[in-house]
Amino acid sequence: MIAIDSSVMNTPKIDLENLSQEQTALEIRDLNLSYGDKQALFNVSMKIPKKQVTAFIGPSGCGKSTLLRCINRMNDLVETCNIQGEILLHGQNIYDKKVDVAALRRNVGMVFQRPNPFPKSIYENVVYGLRLQGVNDRRKLDEAAERSLRGAAIWDEVKDRLHDNAFGLSGGQQQRLVIARAIAIEPEVLLLDEPTSALDPISTLTIEELISDLKSKYTVVIVTHNMQQAARVSDQTAFMYMGELIEYADTNTIFTTPTKRKTEDYITGRYG
Amino acid sequence: MGKWFKSGSPWIWMTGGAVSLSLIAVLGLLLLIAWRGLSYFWPATVYQWELQNQQGERSILIGEIYDVEEVPTERLVSAGHKFNEHPGDTVKRYLVKTGNREFVGLDFRWILATDIISREEPSDVAVLERTKNGNFYGYPIAVVEAGKRIDGEGVQEKLMQLIERSSDLTARALDLQKSDIGTINYELERLRLKERGYELDGDLTATRKQEIIDQTKQLNDDYLVLEKELFSLRDQAGRDAVIVKDMRGQDVTLKLDSIIDVSYTNRLSAIEKVGHWFVGVGRFLSDDPREANTEGGVFPAIFGTVFMVMLMAVIVTPFGVVAAIYLHEYAKKGPITKMIRIAVINLAGVPSIVYGVFGLGFFVYMVGGSLDQLFYPEALPAPTFGSPGVIWSALTLAILTLPVVIVSTEEGLSRIPSAVRQGSLALGATKAETLWRIVIPMASPAIMTGLILAVARAAGEVAPLMLVGVVKLAPTLPIDMNFPFVHLERKFMHLGFHIYDVGFQSPNVEAARPLVYATSFLLVSVIVALNLTAISVRNHLREKFRSLEH
Repeated sequence: MIAIDSSVMNTPKIDLENLSQEQTALEIRDLNLSYGDKQALFNVSMKIPKKQVTAFIGPSGCGKSTLLRCINRMNDLVETCNIQGEILLHGQNIYDKKVDVAALRRNVGMVFQRPNPFPKSIYENVVYGLRLQGVNDRRKLDEAAERSLRGAAIWDEVKDRLHDNAFGLSGGQQQRLVIARAIAIEPEVLLLDEPTSALDPISTLTIEELISDLKSKYTVVIVTHNMQQAARVSDQTAFMYMGELIEYADTNTIFTTPTKRKTEDYITGRYG
Repeated sequence: MGKWFKSGSPWIWMTGGAVSLSLIAVLGLLLLIAWRGLSYFWPATVYQWELQNQQGERSILIGEIYDVEEVPTERLVSAGHKFNEHPGDTVKRYLVKTGNREFVGLDFRWILATDIISREEPSDVAVLERTKNGNFYGYPIAVVEAGKRIDGEGVQEKLMQLIERSSDLTARALDLQKSDIGTINYELERLRLKERGYELDGDLTATRKQEIIDQTKQLNDDYLVLEKELFSLRDQAGRDAVIVKDMRGQDVTLKLDSIIDVSYTNRLSAIEKVGHWFVGVGRFLSDDPREANTEGGVFPAIFGTVFMVMLMAVIVTPFGVVAAIYLHEYAKKGPITKMIRIAVINLAGVPSIVYGVFGLGFFVYMVGGSLDQLFYPEALPAPTFGSPGVIWSALTLAILTLPVVIVSTEEGLSRIPSAVRQGSLALGATKAETLWRIVIPMASPAIMTGLILAVARAAGEVAPLMLVGVVKLAPTLPIDMNFPFVHLERKFMHLGFHIYDVGFQSPNVEAARPLVYATSFLLVSVIVALNLTAISVRNHLREKFRSLEH
């Protein structure tokens, strides 16, 4: 716990309003989204800095998961979904017609609320993304599997049973396996959608420690409904309410001196 | 009472009772056909009766008891029977299988208990199982070995020895006829078709013609050699004979090549009878049918059933799975998809004979006829694929079972958690890749369920097959040693049709009855075996793709 807190404290403050091009991983511009007649996101604009942990918080149904799923176009799967606005990755709008969605998703990995390993061996789960890219060289796969499992802090627990079914793992282990699977294809951005909500406190702690480690290599965006978690792991926090981005600042500011009334109400537990 | 009703126990009793009734019905059915079918192979005791009818005429009867019933005396009297003394209200009546069909006209006879003077179980009476005319019952008194008559003590051993020799020779002759001579005939036919083919194409050159003539001559020469060998084998097999005294007291000479087996059933110990039973069952499973299917085995029917069902499974699975994937994964959810789905489900309710008519009209005549025009013009007007055959039967049943596979595959697809699909998509997989690598493997237990239901349905289906490929007696199996080894255009035998044919088309009803039970039991066993195989595959897959839900 102390380790995490200090790492948060050590992060130098950055100016989110005027983030330079090199420092920006993603830029969201005037994003509006509606499911059929129901609008779920209103004019969201924000810049997400590189190799930092950014948290989206807010009450249930505020659109934080929807926003997250826009970043790797998972909302495309919903037929009634209508999106306007831009999300820029390397200065390129990911909603542009030319963009290859599969390539985008290789670049922007995602981990879901509930662990969703494939019904395959632990090893095959990890190298799934690589096999999709046509990598079949045993040595490369072995190396990638070890690297990603180490990166997800689960190597020591599974190294002796790599070829066992992934369903034999506990929930927390499965979630770390899923993270290993996501980082095996070396994405730039890792989206975590309430990654600990289905886990017990000890597994949660392990995952939280892992998230702080991950930011040395990846830009992490995490959705959480647990404010303590956001405070513990993130560098920036965005508070959303009713589909609008209410306040977006570095985590310390949000949790100590929020500028907006709604943010303060939520942080202090008046609703949510 | 009201309290008991409220407690819910009447419901438990009612539902439990329904389950028990169904269980009893199924088990009872299985037990009945198993008992009636399997007891047929048990060597029955052979009795000798001395009979005296009401006119005082005496006669001897040898045979097995087939059936016993009680008949009211009144009925017998009104049918013209006269009794010297009143036998009571009912009279026992026995159905006796007497065999010796060519000598006594009917090989089954009813006898009244009142006519029986005595009954014994003679130990030296023998049952001779023959290739023609059914069983023969009588006392073997002598054997004729190469024209020399041997009487007295050693007759039984000598008989056994000679029968073994002759059946060995018969088997060799049959083997020669089926494999070597069969191959030559097949080759001759191919040469004829080749010549006709050249003729049709207008390029039957002199060299080609000469080549074909040479080959034909070579084959004919080979044939003559083999034919000589065949005849000599048959002569050898028919060298010996046995002289049997039958129930009329006459000596009958039976050639040994027409005898399959001799057993002195009254002398057999219980263990020997068990051995006999197994031999009988084995022959039933492995032999070809004889005597218009009323004797012999059912091997071609077993083979035909299993082969056709497997062919059907191979055809229906990919089709059904692909259709289900389109309906579930790609088709837009709308009224049209809904209508298609309803139509597919309703296809399962179409009577199977309708599929038979469709198969005959579409597959056999249209598709098969066109294939013949295109690829086998040299054989015309004799059809190759343009007549009923095993491939058309498999296709017809594949259409019949398609809805089952589609419905259960779709059910399997809808049970796969969307989290897993999204997990795959989030790793940069396209929809097709996700389908191939994750969704279809996970749906495979459901696909297997569909296949199990399809197989169960198809293996029991007879009506459509009668139009598109099943015959009473197929001379050759769909698979043999002649190139191209698998002959999908051939007609085949089927256990279900065999039951119908033996039971209802046979001239000898009493002889056929146990065979109907035995074949029914076999058909059920074959279906159960096919299903158990599929179920074990499915359980294996289930274990492998245990889903996330638990």
